[in-house]
Amino acid sequence: MKSLSLSLAVALATGIAAISAVPAAATGKVKCAAGPQSGWKSMDALKAALVKDGWLVRKAKVDGGCYEVYGTLPTGEKVEAYFHPVTFEKLYVAQRGKVLFRKDGY
Amino acid sequence: MMSPRALRDSLPLFWLLLAVPGAVMLYAWASGATDTMDMIAPTGEWAARLMIAAMLLGPLTGVLGSRGWLRWLLARRRALGVAAFGYAALHLAFYVIDMGSVAAMLDELPISSIWTGWLALAVMLPMALTSNMAAMRALKRAWKLVQRLAYPAAVLTLLHWLWVHDGATIALVHFAPLALVWLGLAARRLFSSPPLSQAGA
Repeated sequence: MKSLSLSLAVALATGIAAISAVPAAATGKVKCAAGPQSGWKSMDALKAALVKDGWLVRKAKVDGGCYEVYGTLPTGEKVEAYFHPVTFEKLYVAQRGKVLFRKDGY
Repeated sequence: MMSPRALRDSLPLFWLLLAVPGAVMLYAWASGATDTMDMIAPTGEWAARLMIAAMLLGPLTGVLGSRGWLRWLLARRRALGVAAFGYAALHLAFYVIDMGSVAAMLDELPISSIWTGWLALAVMLPMALTSNMAAMRALKRAWKLVQRLAYPAAVLTLLHWLWVHDGATIALVHFAPLALVWLGLAARRLFSSPPLSQAGA
């Protein structure tokens, strides 16, 4: 009984430690091997290009070596999208976890 | 001045404690430090966290036996459940503010991650509404049945979290203690068979 409660306590502690150890970044949804950041195009340029296409950009950051953008499509869907930081190629678009687009190989 | 014991056993203080994460998050939002869209995930996580905490207490008592700290928490389980619903309602409120229109919300409704969220909240609603002495007295035995809605609510919450796909690891880590304690309970029941005289009774 003692050992059971001890192992339970250890398991719970491990769980709590695991929660705090999981980094907020790097979701692993999409990965880009785009080389050093010095060779990337700027995030602002990507945002500007998307706005020109009719997107509403709400937030952008780097995730998994790609640019990750939260925004609204010209058609109104709120999405999370990944772009290659060098080519600005669209790699992945998801609406509330439902994948709307994923480029082959990504 | 309250004695430490009275302080520990004060229910209003316990409620205040449960409200702290919400107050911190709301302050960050009101002061402009956190965007509306970034309020959705943490409020939902607190809802799940408190729901899991409330659901852990029963089986944990089954596994560990009655302990002082468990009894203390068990006496406050209803508050944990109501707080879980409160955070879930806050979660919905920020989703609604973020979406901005009913049409946009209806458009997303068929997506699995979204309808499971709505349904989880709908299932929690009768539990929250009956979490008071008057309802307990009125419902008598049926009250326990209403509170068992926690199980489908937990399943829907887990699916909602997994399908939204923003941190499946974190979702699984949150629900792991529940799975673990149920396994522990099952193992206890399996290995500690009743004495022969009672078996088959």
